[in-house]
Amino acid sequence: MNNLAKKRLNENFKQSVKYLTLVFNDFFILALIFLFGALMFWYAQSMKAMPANLWFYKPLVGFVMWLPLLTGKLVTLIKEADMQFLFTQDKHMDEYLKPMFRYSLILPYILIVLLAGILFPFASIKAGIKPSDYFIFVLTILIFKICQLLIEENNLYFEKRIDISLVNIILLILTIVGAYWYWLALIVALISEIYLFYNQKNHQKKLFDWRYAVENEKARKDRVYSIFSMFTDVEEKQVSIKRRKYLDFLLPKSIAKENPNRFLYRRSLLRNPEYLNLLVRMTVFAVLISWLVQDWRWALGLSALVVFLTVYQLMPLATEFDTNIMYRVYPIKREDRGRDLIKVLNIALLIQWLIISACWLLVLPIDIHLFESMAVLLVFAILLIIVYLPNKVKNLNRKR
Amino acid sequence: MSLKIEHLTGGYTGVPVIKDINLEIKPGEALGLIGLNGAGKSTTIKHILGLLRPQKGSITLNDINLMQQPTKFKREVAYIPETPVLYPELTLKEHLELTMLSYNLDEKKAWDRAHELLKMFRLDDKLDWLPIHFSKGMRQKVMIVSAFLADTSLLVIDEPFTGLDPLAVANLIDLIRKAIADGKMVLMTTHVLADAQQAISNYAVLNNGTIEIVGSLKEIREHYGLKPDDPFDKLYLTLNKVDHHE
Repeated sequence: MNNLAKKRLNENFKQSVKYLTLVFNDFFILALIFLFGALMFWYAQSMKAMPANLWFYKPLVGFVMWLPLLTGKLVTLIKEADMQFLFTQDKHMDEYLKPMFRYSLILPYILIVLLAGILFPFASIKAGIKPSDYFIFVLTILIFKICQLLIEENNLYFEKRIDISLVNIILLILTIVGAYWYWLALIVALISEIYLFYNQKNHQKKLFDWRYAVENEKARKDRVYSIFSMFTDVEEKQVSIKRRKYLDFLLPKSIAKENPNRFLYRRSLLRNPEYLNLLVRMTVFAVLISWLVQDWRWALGLSALVVFLTVYQLMPLATEFDTNIMYRVYPIKREDRGRDLIKVLNIALLIQWLIISACWLLVLPIDIHLFESMAVLLVFAILLIIVYLPNKVKNLNRKR
Repeated sequence: MSLKIEHLTGGYTGVPVIKDINLEIKPGEALGLIGLNGAGKSTTIKHILGLLRPQKGSITLNDINLMQQPTKFKREVAYIPETPVLYPELTLKEHLELTMLSYNLDEKKAWDRAHELLKMFRLDDKLDWLPIHFSKGMRQKVMIVSAFLADTSLLVIDEPFTGLDPLAVANLIDLIRKAIADGKMVLMTTHVLADAQQAISNYAVLNNGTIEIVGSLKEIREHYGLKPDDPFDKLYLTLNKVDHHE
């Protein structure tokens, strides 16, 4: 079982490297360097202006250091087929999970140490935590992560399951307490860890909950793939469709003037999280950067870029149904799908423009330039619809 | 007016899976396609549905050639696959609406028919459900309802009884019988001959990519030297021997 775990970890590592290489391409790294530089500059400037020893600084340190505890769930790499083929291996799952446990610590530990480093000037200068105390505090956080993963591992067996959300709330309280009474938090962390390690010895006598383990791992992988899919295509990602009845008002009331392609695209755009989340995420992003730059020229340029990127990333919707056998069997004109997609995206883009413009009125100084920017953004969106999209659609039909 | 498959040779790659298939189904006729796994039943169906390009031969339905007028041809064909394929984004109601849109059905008449079918398969209270909430049998029922709603002249049914409860099997057989009586053409593949022969009397035996015989079950028994009271499983044993011999 140990070998199987190592083999799977190796495959998982290769897959992660493949996607990380795609995500962290040259442009993205460059953007990250700028973003990180800007953030650090803002941090350094804020540190100068901030008064020292305000009452909420220590809880703030506790809260920020609690955030990385939310990342990095227990990686088990258990597959659906294991329910069938490893069904008799309950006794050996403990052995299988050991390398998985160690692997699961890597990412959260990197994040905790990185964040602890960034937060150190604030914690020591502004919050008044001594460096030695801060070291113990960070050590406690690292032990908390072990405890959290041990609880997740325990939950894989049939026994009283501990809700991880509850564990996270307790950890939040403990990290905030730890920012004041670091020794107390350390003692609690050590006692919990010893208890959980002792409890782990009983695993061999317990029944492994295969169904729960499979579902948990599937959910974990889905989260990881969702992050990767924000930047690149992820073949393995399984989409879970949401009904979202509250958005039905955006669909035509009658099907009389509808056609099959438009009918499918509209519903996919509203119910497939890949597309709707993208649209929402990009719109929020445009509003957020507009608010940050506080200048109509920058807001216009960056929002136009976001609108373009939205359209670009929504293009795969055109071929979304090509692999569905019923789509190919039904008498649906596939050659018209590009034109139908444009009609659906028209509405999506206009809604995006409307939201961005409305938010500009709230977050940017209102003057004549702002209204001009709104008009220019609208013209840009219309140009995308009548010039860019038909050209892209032609390419799609050629690929067919 | 008929489905004509003439000298059809084809498959997935350059190597043909089916060779020189000739079949004809006239209005009001049904044909069962039987054979062992890998005999070429699904490949034949995929060619009729336009999912594979024939290497040789032609497929015409009511004088419409599949390769020349694919959309017009497809408008005359409804299909029930062995494994139900639904759109995860669409509710049951929307699957029916999509069928109405694709086949250009009159909405009012189609809904009257849909309600009948939904009631028959006990789906009438699940119109707002997404496929994720359906069991395998229920998904298959959605495929059946959609296919019979399309009201086409040819019904292509691939292994329809898998995963259905006995009540649904009986209802499906009833629907197939009515369709035949109404002058529709039915092509069905199945291994469950006990159920199939309640609706279909004519069969084509497909073996190793070629049609060995077309006829009634009695004629098929005689062709393979089976006694009248021999269980039909024996046909498959005989086919297996023929297959191995080749």
